[in-house]
Amino acid sequence: MTNSTSTGHNADDSIISIEDLSFSYDIGKTNTLRNISLKIPEGRVTSFIGPSGCGKSTLLRCLNRMNDLVETSRITGGRIEILGQDINAPDVDVIELRKHVGMLFQKYNPFPKSIYENVAYGLRVQGVRRMDILDQAVEESLRKAALWLEVKDRLDASALELSGGQQQRLCIARTIAVKPRIILMDEPCSALDPIATARIEELISELQDDFTIVIVTHNMQQAARVSDQTAFFYLGELVEYADTTTIFGNPKAKQTEDYISGRFG
Amino acid sequence: MANKFQSKERRLFGVGIQGWIKGFFSGNAGVSMGVIFLIFLFLVFEAVRFFPDHHRELKLVRRTGQEYVDFLRREARGYQEISSYTNQAYFQELDARFGVQRGLVDGFEVLQGMIEDGAEPEIEALAEARDVSDPVALRAAEKRYWGRVGEIVDSAERSSVDSFGRLSTEESAWQSLLQAARRYDAVEEETPDLILAAEARTESGMAEFRKAKTMISSAGSDLKNLRDRLVRIASATRKDAETDYSLGMRKKALLEGSGKLDGKAREEQIAEAEALKVLDQFPFEVRVQPIIDSHDEHQKAVEHLKEQLKKGIAALPTEFSSEASKKLVMKIREAEPAYLEALDQSLEEASEWTWNEEVNWSSSVSRFFLGKEWKTASGGWRQLYGFLPLFTGSVTISMIALCFALPFSIGAAIYVNQLSSRWERSFMKPAIEMIQAIPSIVLGFFGIMVLGNMLVEYSDSPWVSWLPGFPITQRLNMLNAGMLLALMAIPTIFTLCEDALNNVPRSFSEASLALGASRFQTVQRVVVPAAISGILAAVLLGLGRIIGETMVVLLVAGNRIAMPDWGDGLGIITQPSHTMTGIIAQEMGEVSEGTLHYRALFLIGLVLFVVSLLINLSAQKLTKRLGAHV
Repeated sequence: MTNSTSTGHNADDSIISIEDLSFSYDIGKTNTLRNISLKIPEGRVTSFIGPSGCGKSTLLRCLNRMNDLVETSRITGGRIEILGQDINAPDVDVIELRKHVGMLFQKYNPFPKSIYENVAYGLRVQGVRRMDILDQAVEESLRKAALWLEVKDRLDASALELSGGQQQRLCIARTIAVKPRIILMDEPCSALDPIATARIEELISELQDDFTIVIVTHNMQQAARVSDQTAFFYLGELVEYADTTTIFGNPKAKQTEDYISGRFG
Repeated sequence: MANKFQSKERRLFGVGIQGWIKGFFSGNAGVSMGVIFLIFLFLVFEAVRFFPDHHRELKLVRRTGQEYVDFLRREARGYQEISSYTNQAYFQELDARFGVQRGLVDGFEVLQGMIEDGAEPEIEALAEARDVSDPVALRAAEKRYWGRVGEIVDSAERSSVDSFGRLSTEESAWQSLLQAARRYDAVEEETPDLILAAEARTESGMAEFRKAKTMISSAGSDLKNLRDRLVRIASATRKDAETDYSLGMRKKALLEGSGKLDGKAREEQIAEAEALKVLDQFPFEVRVQPIIDSHDEHQKAVEHLKEQLKKGIAALPTEFSSEASKKLVMKIREAEPAYLEALDQSLEEASEWTWNEEVNWSSSVSRFFLGKEWKTASGGWRQLYGFLPLFTGSVTISMIALCFALPFSIGAAIYVNQLSSRWERSFMKPAIEMIQAIPSIVLGFFGIMVLGNMLVEYSDSPWVSWLPGFPITQRLNMLNAGMLLALMAIPTIFTLCEDALNNVPRSFSEASLALGASRFQTVQRVVVPAAISGILAAVLLGLGRIIGETMVVLLVAGNRIAMPDWGDGLGIITQPSHTMTGIIAQEMGEVSEGTLHYRALFLIGLVLFVVSLLINLSAQKLTKRLGAHV
């Protein structure tokens, strides 16, 4: 196995740096992630691919510490630095971390509130009360999420009345309203039809200018279409990490090649 | 051609095994539903017949003149209240101004009694010796007597004599009282000067107040006498009318029954029936006449009462040494105009009253649902079935219980479901649900023996005595019952609430946390709003449990059937009360079937049933809404 950290970029512009990370959901049992090292460059789209159970989602959830919700889980080795800060250091406030590292989930999950309140939520919990600031942020975020034109006349309608694709784009708007540096996407299109998927993918390329995006996907074509770098995981280990064109055109590891060509997975 | 797919199932009476199994289960469901329906029918059937019976009772009360007498009773009751306040005020003031004098007088009386009891042989001997006038014997007897008196006075230490503690700070008065007692000659029975002086001082100091008090307490004597006379007349009329009615019923039954008999037996039964003296029509008109005739006397008595009362109240002092007395007199002065007005109104109503006016059917209903008094036949004068105090009691206790149960149960549910660690959850949830396992009779026992005593004991501490209704004087009250009912409702509300929170998709809280919200913000802004209809349903079901609970309220609520004294404001929570459930449990055992009382209890049962039904239905509606929106 070749643990490659070469990405074609120099290490300086990396925003996330993972060093020798091991992680277990149930301490004392087997590690779900083993000795993973990779650097994710800023302002790019990086995709994590691999068969089910390979740990790609787990790694993603380590990046904003969503795994804290699983009481028994622990980082058993290594470290993760985001913007140069070890995110598991004792003096790190997970709430501050998550303001910088937003997340989009597999199944679109808007709150059972109005469209407006969904987008304003992140700012409201930060204590923003001024309506003009909120109004502006809501509009801006909805525009960036390419949803503004569809919903601008019914911001007070329930978010649950939107279609699936719209709901997922609302979730994107909700995430970017907080202005994170990084957006983690956990198979954001798996519950959507091809047309809605295409719109989300389009959106991802547009968002690339403002945010660093890490996306977990099952869909190799999607990884090929949207990402600049691709990391291939297998059984909790990072098998290969390189420019997307390299991974899909000229993979170094045999497993990568087998997976990409559809021989397993 | 034979059916290729013929069933191979064994059949019994033409029905397959599957059919029998289905029948068994549907039968179970059907029986449960049928039982509910039958219970409801039974309740309705017994309960609605209350209204015609009640109507008959109200009619009887009017025909016998009891209704008229009730005017006088009400007038006298208000007057007695004022009179008793005056008495209390008088004695409070007396104590405050002439506490020492009263202490001397009372203390001397006690000492006197002790000497008379304790030195009986010596007193007799002394009296005899004085009669005989033998100087030697006299000296011996006197020596023995005075020695004995000294012993008694020495042994009668402060506590047993000065039981009110009036002299506890008056050392010199106390000493002179003892001195006077030592010199008291029980043969001559001469009251010592000290005591006479004390009495005289009290007498002159309180003369003004006492005059007012006497005026007030004698003001209503005419009215009370008239009332007592009319009560006797009306009661007798009622008794006779009832006897006549039941004889009539018996005669009717005998005559009807005789139709089924033949020959001699028939004749005998008819003869027996004919022998019963039944009046064709009970002469209410004649019997009620003395009551109608007394109206002038009634009017005069009321006028006299008003005049004397006004004079008496005006004569009450304006300067007080006792704060309590001042308050009482202020209360009297405040109550006076309202009472005088009520007197006029009552008198006016009485003058418009006629014995033969029809009784409205609606009053049969409204006197039940809006009546403020519940008095059953055993009370004597007349039966009153006013449902309002019971309803108020039930509702008040339920509200108290909810106030206590809500924060605890919802808070615990939020903590256990959202904030606790897995380890905490593993024992907290079962522990809270375990409360349900406590039998209600045990809770009631706890309420009487522990909680009630604690409330009384600690409620006058400065930490809590500012609360409305505190300090608590009665051990058994609505607050006590409400707190115990809260304990019973907590597991219900907690469990259902926890379920409702559990049903909120995890993705909601994940999304919120991922946006940088804290756990608490997530609970407050996302989880609880999403679960709100489930939480409300939980609260309603808890309320249903509380309102139907019987044992605890019967034991702990104090069982006083009266409207709460609203003057206490929120303090009514520490008053005792009776409840809808409690009254049924308490009185159902004593009533005979078919009586008005019996039907009144059934009617309460029906109201309870309907209230619970409504609560449960709305809870179901809410739960469905929750299901629809997630």
